[in-house]
Amino acid sequence: MSVSARRNVTVWTVLKWAVAIMVAVIAVFPVWWMVNVVFSLPGEPVSINPRLWPTSMSAGIDKIRMIFAETAYMRAYAVSLAYAGLTIFGVLLVGSLAAFEFALFEFRGKNVLFAVILLSLMVPTAATIIPTYLLTSSLGWLNSMQGLVVPGLASAFGLFMLVQFMRAIPRDMIEAARLDGANHFQIYWFVALPLSRNAMITLAILTFMQTWGNYMWPLIVGTRPDMYTVGQVVGLFNAPLSHQTVDVVMTANLLAAIPPLVFFLIFQKQIVEGIAMSGTKG
Amino acid sequence: MDIRRSFLSTVSALVAVGWAGIAAAQEKTLEYWVYSDFAQGDALALQQEFIKEFTAKHPGVKIEIIGKGDADLTAGQIAGAASGNVPDVFMNGIGTGAQLVEVGALANVYDKWMAMPEDYRNQFNKSAIANCTPEPQKMYCLPYTGYGSLMFRNLTVLKKAGIDPSTPPATWEEWLGQMKKIKEAGMFAIPDQALVFNSIAEMYAISGDVSTWGIDWDSRKTRIDPAVMEKVLQKFVDIAPLNSGTSRNDQATKDLFVTDQLAFHTVGPWVNSTYLEAEKNGKLKYDFVLIPGDTADKRGGIQNYEIVGVAPGENFDISWEFASYVTAKEQMARWAKLLSRYNSNAAAMAEPEVASLPLIARSVESVGYAMDVMPPYLVKAVPSCYSSTVVDIVSATADGEYSPAEGAKEIVAELNDCLAE
Amino acid sequence: MSSQRSHVPHYLMIAPFVVLFAAFFLYPILSGFYYSFHDWNGVEVPRFVGLANYEKLLGSRDFSRAMWNLVVYISITVPVGILVAFGLALLVDSFTGRWASFFRNAYFLPVVLPAFLAATIWRWIYAPNFGLLNMILGWFGLPSVNFLNDTGTMIYALIAVDVWVSAGFNMVILLAGLKNIPAELYEAARLDGANKWQQIVHITVPMLGPIMFFVITYSIISAMQVFDKPWLLTGSSFSEYGGRRGALLFPVMDMMGRAFGEVRFGEASAYGFLLTLAIVFLTMVTFGIRKWRERS
Repeated sequence: MSVSARRNVTVWTVLKWAVAIMVAVIAVFPVWWMVNVVFSLPGEPVSINPRLWPTSMSAGIDKIRMIFAETAYMRAYAVSLAYAGLTIFGVLLVGSLAAFEFALFEFRGKNVLFAVILLSLMVPTAATIIPTYLLTSSLGWLNSMQGLVVPGLASAFGLFMLVQFMRAIPRDMIEAARLDGANHFQIYWFVALPLSRNAMITLAILTFMQTWGNYMWPLIVGTRPDMYTVGQVVGLFNAPLSHQTVDVVMTANLLAAIPPLVFFLIFQKQIVEGIAMSGTKG
Repeated sequence: MDIRRSFLSTVSALVAVGWAGIAAAQEKTLEYWVYSDFAQGDALALQQEFIKEFTAKHPGVKIEIIGKGDADLTAGQIAGAASGNVPDVFMNGIGTGAQLVEVGALANVYDKWMAMPEDYRNQFNKSAIANCTPEPQKMYCLPYTGYGSLMFRNLTVLKKAGIDPSTPPATWEEWLGQMKKIKEAGMFAIPDQALVFNSIAEMYAISGDVSTWGIDWDSRKTRIDPAVMEKVLQKFVDIAPLNSGTSRNDQATKDLFVTDQLAFHTVGPWVNSTYLEAEKNGKLKYDFVLIPGDTADKRGGIQNYEIVGVAPGENFDISWEFASYVTAKEQMARWAKLLSRYNSNAAAMAEPEVASLPLIARSVESVGYAMDVMPPYLVKAVPSCYSSTVVDIVSATADGEYSPAEGAKEIVAELNDCLAE
Repeated sequence: MSSQRSHVPHYLMIAPFVVLFAAFFLYPILSGFYYSFHDWNGVEVPRFVGLANYEKLLGSRDFSRAMWNLVVYISITVPVGILVAFGLALLVDSFTGRWASFFRNAYFLPVVLPAFLAATIWRWIYAPNFGLLNMILGWFGLPSVNFLNDTGTMIYALIAVDVWVSAGFNMVILLAGLKNIPAELYEAARLDGANKWQQIVHITVPMLGPIMFFVITYSIISAMQVFDKPWLLTGSSFSEYGGRRGALLFPVMDMMGRAFGEVRFGEASAYGFLLTLAIVFLTMVTFGIRKWRERS
């Protein structure tokens, strides 16, 4: 390798690292600041000096303990986890079944149907939330898990995303499986699904984020405290004229952010490991 | 085997449903929606005591208390009305009363009210009751907690600027003079009062009063008097170079106050818990007084209320009994003592143990002078263009885009447009 | 070929989706459409008013302001957000092992935060005089800027927050796509003498085609429905929203205000459908561009 080529590699590497670290700071610092606010004494000014480090671990732990004791936060975790988990399972199943068809096959009415489904993506949820709520109520599903989960299962977002990923599946693999005697469903299960692993995991992560952050729907469907999601419990603290001090409010909010983070960390590993095993770029 | 199992489970399910049906016929469960901070900590404990006392006297009644944040209360009550699931007894701000009446969430309790003994009815603050009674024979709520504006003063900042804090400013001119001195000493005098409708109302009350404020629904015009508005706008221009750029509701404003960079904070009493903590940490010296008016006998500031409403329907009678129990003098006195907050049961406020609490004493005084925020209540839902127009034009005038005279004319003209739609 | 095989398996497979979709999306949409021609407060019997809701909205100043804000917002936040996301995806992809995980997780962190938390953090960063950004400006001797209250800067402040969150979201999707590109293609190109830039242009971008299309389309659709960030950044409530002079007023926000603030569901529905028309139009343009590129 010539001298100039070696130097080029170094410059590029330095630049790469500098940019990566700077962006990481921009992404992470605001959150780090919040953590420091949580672990500080109440009554201290929080927005004036950027908090570079926590000042009181015990105060933070006290606050966390108080929140768990006084609100049904644990129960809300359970409700939210169930809501997210069931939604992910349903969306992935129902969506992949349909995406398989729309991506790889032709059948009568396919284009019209796909267009209609895509159109639904373009109607803001706010416009349909009341009619959906009234329908859910007339089914007797208010304050129930099925009321929370089922209306969201036919996700056009999920379908659209999976279709785009599944389009890349080579047709000859499908033909080969059919010649091997596999029926339609078996092709889906044994060929298409494994090849869409990345897409499915990514969709699972994104669905988790969307469900976890969903506010309006659980608010009007789950009005009783035993069906409160984490979002609603946090909403109790976020009322602007509440008598709570701000660090307690921030603690409640931070506690809400932990499960999605953990979920993401677990499943992101899966993608990387999955690639390493299948021998593609990793 | 499967068929038998499913048959048995069906039978047991039917029995369970039937049993529950019988039980339900004997037992009523009321849903009681309260503000989120009333459903936490000591406040929740006291509410549960009220519930226990009431259900002891009314066997077969269960009451479920549910806390929600402000906007959530409204959204939930409106959605509930649409699906026929309104909570039986619930709280909200009096400003949203009109929407709740429109969707049928609030029952007309006038007959029940008049059937109550006279000494019960006399317990309440008369003007608060009037707010709940938009027309003769029509009363939609019981007034509950409330507040009058207070002016929190940072005594350290005042002393540093060379102001003697022992007497609060008696008039606007005196107050403005103090604010200018604070600016000269390098600190902020006051939050930006032009950012939020309620702080604009607080400023308006310094010059005007409720007779030139609010909406006249018969003619669909605003009641604002341009001459008074012009005087008020001039005040905003005067404080423009002296303010902190943050609104009275911002966390940043509280932080400035606590770190001795802000002198005056005009707001409701809910910030006191933060300031009390800071005082306990030894970092803050403060007090609270009333907002001065143009003349020594006037005061600025607003009063606002929360209400307890009762839903129409099969639980109406028992819901009214619970609502009237919770708002009666004994319970309101205990409530006020616990939270150190003003409420609209005047008899409770007059009780010596309650009246001696400084925050309450000052609030009672403030309410005596303060202006209603958005009268008349419970008549029609105020369109959102109303408050945003006021905020927009006041801020534009403070920025210098209009002169106070022009701004006043603009406000009246645009508000009338807004209401005409 | 397909006419020889039965279509039944296809319909069976899509049945669960279609049934759920028809019940919980199609029916409410048609329902909402029906109500948009009525005056309805959710409780009383809806009163037919024909096109009155639509006329009122199209003539309303708030509607024009909200739509204009939306145009400005989308035309900046979508391209910037996607470029940043793509850059981040390439960046993360160029690391391996532990460092790749570290950066990927760091960039995704903003996505994980509840909207209220993100908004609070940014309100403090943007605070006038002593917020983090103004402090930094102060070090350079520049005067304080009231980012969230100066009508000239508000929308850009919002876009910055949006990119901060959406970059991580889109990055994750693009990363999944990048991981699907076989390494052999890059090997072959390197052996042919292509440098990094040429590899990106001739391999990465084309192979990412369908996924990039999805990211762009979805970004446009969701940007057109922006609500929670401007709502929280301006401390809105149902009686007061949109920030100073309505500089952060957006269609969905206006719609929610009319639904829950003024309890006029018919009007809110009409608003929703006008917005839908705009979204459909933009999406069709996107699809059209793609078809045109595929053909050439």
